[in-house]
Order: sequence, then C-alpha cells, then structure tokens
Amino acid sequence: MTSSFEQMRANVGKLLRGIDRYQFNPAYFQTQVTSQILLKALTNLPHTDFTLCKCMIDQTHQEERPIRQILYLGNLLETCHFQSFWTSLEENRELIDGITGFEDSVRKFICHVVGITYQTIEHRLLAEMLGDPLDTQVKVWMNKYGWTENDEGQIFIFNQEESVKPKNIVEKIDFESECCHRNPSHISHRVFYLFLYLDVKAEYSHTSLIVFLFTGVSSIMATSQ
Amino acid sequence: MVINVCSVHFQYDPYTYPNDYDLHTGDPKADLAYERQYEQQTYHVIPEVIKNFLQYFHKTISDLIDQKVYELQSNRVSSESIEQKIYEIQDVYENSWNKLTDRFFKNSPWPEAEAIASLVGNGECIGGPTLDQRFESYYNYCNLFNYILNADGPAPLELPNQWLWDIIDEFIYQFQSFSQYRCKTAKKSEEEIEFLRNNPKIWNVHSVLNVLHSLVDKSNINRQLEVYTSGGDPESVAGEYGRHSLYKMLGYFSLVGLLRLHSLLGDYYQAIKVLENIELNKKSMYSRVPECQITTYYYVGFAYLMMRRYQDAIRVFANILLYIQRTRNMFQRSTYKYEMINKQNEQMHGLLAIALTMYPMRIDESIHTQLREKYGDKMLRMQKGDLQVFEEQFSFACPKFLSPVVPNYDNVHPNYHKEPFQQQLKVFAEEVQQQAQLSTIRSFLKLYTTMPVAKLAGFLDMTEQEFRIQLLVFKHKMKNLVWTSGISALDGEFQSASEVDFYIDKDMIHIADTKVARRYGDFFIRQIHKFEELNRTLKKMPASTTTAAAVTTTARAV
Repeated sequence: MTSSFEQMRANVGKLLRGIDRYQFNPAYFQTQVTSQILLKALTNLPHTDFTLCKCMIDQTHQEERPIRQILYLGNLLETCHFQSFWTSLEENRELIDGITGFEDSVRKFICHVVGITYQTIEHRLLAEMLGDPLDTQVKVWMNKYGWTENDEGQIFIFNQEESVKPKNIVEKIDFESECCHRNPSHISHRVFYLFLYLDVKAEYSHTSLIVFLFTGVSSIMATSQ
Repeated sequence: MVINVCSVHFQYDPYTYPNDYDLHTGDPKADLAYERQYEQQTYHVIPEVIKNFLQYFHKTISDLIDQKVYELQSNRVSSESIEQKIYEIQDVYENSWNKLTDRFFKNSPWPEAEAIASLVGNGECIGGPTLDQRFESYYNYCNLFNYILNADGPAPLELPNQWLWDIIDEFIYQFQSFSQYRCKTAKKSEEEIEFLRNNPKIWNVHSVLNVLHSLVDKSNINRQLEVYTSGGDPESVAGEYGRHSLYKMLGYFSLVGLLRLHSLLGDYYQAIKVLENIELNKKSMYSRVPECQITTYYYVGFAYLMMRRYQDAIRVFANILLYIQRTRNMFQRSTYKYEMINKQNEQMHGLLAIALTMYPMRIDESIHTQLREKYGDKMLRMQKGDLQVFEEQFSFACPKFLSPVVPNYDNVHPNYHKEPFQQQLKVFAEEVQQQAQLSTIRSFLKLYTTMPVAKLAGFLDMTEQEFRIQLLVFKHKMKNLVWTSGISALDGEFQSASEVDFYIDKDMIHIADTKVARRYGDFFIRQIHKFEELNRTLKKMPASTTTAAAVTTTARAV
C-alpha cells in the first residue's frame, strides 16, 4: 500500500494540474483523474494527502461536480462527523465506483481514531460511527483489532490508563553536587538566612521551603501540589 | 555604502550593454549580419565579464598574499593591514556583485531594490523592469546555463559558493517576478500582451524546472549526498562534472531551488521530497552560505506546517531562529542581504506563532521570549479563535505563491494574480476552522481530571454528541507525523506530544495534564550567592552594636 502511495504522490502534482509534456494546461484538467486521486487520498487517512491535494486544485475546479462532493465527504471525515459521512455517501454512491475497498479504508481510519480516544465504548455508538445500521460490520472490526465486548454492550478497546497519565516535570536538585563542595554546616547556616529572606518576600509556598530545610544536605525532590 | 556602490560601478564595469534595438538598419543583409554578431557577443558576454571580475579579484588576492609574505619575511606582522585587505575584497565582492546583478538581472519593484537602483541613477528601474528587460534577462540566464551545461567538458570557472547561490536564487526570483507580472494584464498595452502571447516559452515554468533538474543531474548531487551521508567518499560517484565545485554546488543549490519552486506551486510533499538525501535534521551544514540555510529551513518549515506536521515545523523553525540569533553579527556585511534575512526571520517568527497556537508545546526559552514579545498579543487572539488574525499572520509569513499556468490573455480578471495565494489561504483557513473548538476544549480539559462527558459538554455549551465528535477531532488533529530517524525529512511516525491528554471510558472522560513545576533551584542558588556577597560586605564593616540591627533591616528591605 505504501509504495503505491509513494508512486501516486510523486505524480500527484502533475496529475492534478492536468500537465502534459509541454505545458501546464488547464484544458487538460481531467475531472475523472482528479476525483480518483482525491478518493484515493481519503483512503490514506490519517495521512494528510487529501489536504495536500486541495492545495493543488484551483478554485474553479474545486466547485465542479463531482469534486465538490468528494471534498465535502473528505471534510466530514477530517472533522470526524462519521455518521453524517455515511449518510452523505449513501446519497452519492456512484462516486466511489472504481475505488476498491474505499469503505473499508474509511472504517480503518475510523477505528484508528476510536482506538486512540476510547478505552470503552458503547456498541451502539461504534456501530453508528462505522455506518453499520444492520450491525454486521462491528463484529468484523472488533475481531480485526481484538476488541472484546461485555454483557452490557460495552466494547473494551485498549487500556488507555497505562499511557495516558498525568505527568509532573519537576526539577531535581542534587544538593551535594550543585552548591556544596563545602561544609554541610555552612549550608544550614545559609538555609536559615534564606528562610528569613524568603519569608519576607513570601514568594514560595511553605511546603517546599520546609522540605528544603528538613532534608538538609540530601537531594531534594518536591512534588508540586 | 551608497557612494561605494556608485564608484565601483564606474570603476570597473567594462561591459556596457548595447542598446541594439536601435541598430537595425532596415537592410535585411546588414541586419542579419548584425544579428549573428549580436548572438556571438551575447554568448561570450557573461564569461567575459566574470573573467574580468575574476582577474581583478585575483590581483587583489595575490597582492594580499605578497604583502603577507613580505611582512612575514621582514618580521612585521601587521594584522590590521591584512584585515583591511580582506575586508576590501569582501566589500568589493559584495558591492560589485550586486552591481553586476543589478546590471544583468534587474531587480524587481521591491522598495529596497528600487531605492538602491535609483540611487545609482538607474532610472529604468522605476516601476519595475520592462517586458524587454525581463526577456533580456531570461536570455542571459539561458546563455549562462547553456554554457555551463553544454560545454564539452566542465567549464573552467571557479566561483565562490555565495555567487552560485545568488545565481540560482535570483533566477527563481526573476521567474517568480515574471509570473506575477504577466498576470497583471490590466496595465499592459496591446503590443505587450501580443508579445507575451506569442512567446509562451519565456520564463516558462517547464524551462525553469528543466534548468534546475539538469543541474541536479549533471552534478550527480543526489548520488554524492547519498554516499556522503552513509560515510563514503562522494568523489567516487561525482562523475566528470560533479567533482568540480562549480557543478557540485550548483547542483546542491538547485535542489534548494526545487524545494522553493514546488512550495511556490503548492506541492509541499514534492518540495520536501527533493531534499530527501539531505540530512535536514542534523545540525551540521553542507553549504556554508547562510542565506541558503535560512531559505531551506523557511520552506521546509512552511511545508511541514501545511502538511500538518506541527511538531516538525516547530522544531525546524526554533532551530533556524536560534541559528540566526547566534550568527546575526555575520550579516552586517551587506544591507541587501541583511534585509532579506531579517524579513525571513520575521516571517518564521510569524509561522512559529501559528504553529505553536495550533500545537502548544515547549520550546527553547529564548525563542519563546522573543516570540511572546513580537506576537504575544496575536497569539492570544488566535487562541481565542480569531480567524482574521490567523489569516493576517499567514498572509504576512507565507511565500509568494505562483500559478504555473499561462493566463488566457483574452480573459484575465483583475485579481487573477492573487489566486494562487487565495487558494493556499483557503486550505489553511479550512484547517484552522476544523480545529476552531480545540483551543477552548484544551483549556477546559486542563481544569479537571475526571468528569462525566455530558457534564463537560454542558460547560462548553455543546450537546454531548457534538462534544464527543470534537474530542475525536482533538485526538485526530493532535496526532501528527513526527520525524524521529532516517535521512529523509519525509520519514516519520505518528505521535502526539500534546500537553493535555485524555481518554473516554464509558461515560467518563479521564484527563492527564503535563505540569511543569516551577524551577526554583536557580533562584535559590542566586539568592545564596547574593547573601554570601552581603555577608562578606558586612564582615568588612566595623563591628558595632548597630550591625545586628542593620542585618535585619537590610533583610526586610530587600
């Protein structure tokens, strides 16, 4: 799949502009070819081929049928309005004649987006997103991705909890290496002055200061609460 | 500086361009003979003038060497006079090169160029170059490139890299200028339009592409780069022409030229693809021409932005802006170059502002500070979803797009020349629209850790269904291709480095924020030092009862 896309991408610019060997000629613009390219680009979502194609089709041609319809469908997919997409597609089925596996590619994209967003999703909702009124597709895609369903109609996607965790980036100060090549008692002396100083300024929360004082010469790790 | 330019112009401009349109007598035989002679002249003209220039250069440099040798021999090391000579050479090169460029390849109606040109007393530049001058220029370039590409062996020219870059850069610039020019048919005479109509090959995009591709092929630069990056010796694949620095560097600069050209035509994928053998993500420089570096990264960054590879765009812009910051002093040499680099510097800040708004992430502190100074206000407005500001920023910072198509001279409406730009702007604006809600959602997400989806939808004034859709959009748009390894800048993996992340579990949304704790270590250390200082000062003061009081008072006062 990748290499055919590479080939396509290499020629997309020329194809979209209807270039023949001797000149960039708008008269050579081929609606059919452009439509095919756009639809093929949609099958490669989430790659941005579709957006890049739009950069190379001029405004006049963008308003012609069926390019306008295809652009509309593409925008629905980019904005994740999947239910609207399937409805629209129903009304324009002839558009995808000649592109094998178009619907499957779109479903693959939808499953990708669902897979990065949901940990558990309702069966009904997934069916809607996959454009599956007869509930035939859901099982197929569940099998493909190894998703399981429980008794309550909830489909378990992926343990997101593992990877989506709050992060705290804190500064770790190793007291020993940073500023004390000196006598530790000196440090506590300074700490005392510092406390005075900062108390006056009242700039930092007391929690971190107290930690600082009590840990003395060892390394400090503060959590920001 | 201005005076210098003038005097240089008179001092050695051995080539005076014959105003040949006057010299046709009307007698066919004589005219034909003249034509032939003119062809010959034009063909030899460019190398001749460059030869002269080189001779002058050579003389100055050999004088310098002689002087150095003499001084070393007589044990007199006068670094100042050497510095002076070097400066002279550079100065002379810069100015006279500009003069040659102005003479052959007239600059277009940018205010800066106009100012220089009119100062030099070249009235022809007012209102921009004429059609004739543009055609002339095109033929000059054709001759130059024919000479370089079609010689029986490598051309015996050794030109500085800076010159070679300038040639390619200016060549594309003139093409750009012409493409814009020919779309504006409103102010043209019938004669001019007829001339344009009958000569579609002049400044034709295919010719320009052809030249660049030919230079790339002749020099085997792609093979050379491949071998170079894998640690081998590029000479082994350079071929007869490629091993000469002239061809090698023209090949390299043509690659950058192609990057630029494809970007101007809106083909961003192809633009980055032509550089696939150049390790853009390594810090080292293959060419030592700063303008080349900056131009390369400007276009690469812009292409990444249009490809929705925000992280890559941000990384590229931040790097090159740091580079400019660090090497700023070098650019004082010529105001013309300095202006250009300054402009690109500003534009890249603008693009970085856009990219960071779409994809907030941490970048180098110094760049971030600079950015906030210049665009802090605009960034806030963009975050609030002000589409107009997005469009303004884009308009300022984007390249000057072109259409490769020859206009239909019979039917050109007044804003035809703006269409390529409008097209790119539209794609950009659509993308901004699609992501319009994300900024607000992001700020709400930062406030909570867990919440029912329906409830958060309510806070955002959306239906649950619409909110769920927006959450999908968030995930989709924030997961971009990011370069991680490999030589080609097109390589990448899908990653998300969004500071705010979440997932939906049944009816609940679980949010994970990245908090960066305030850095206090530096602050403590600085204060410790301050206190030490204070302590030392106090110890030096005469001991008295007032000392203790003084310490406390000082502490409180600070």
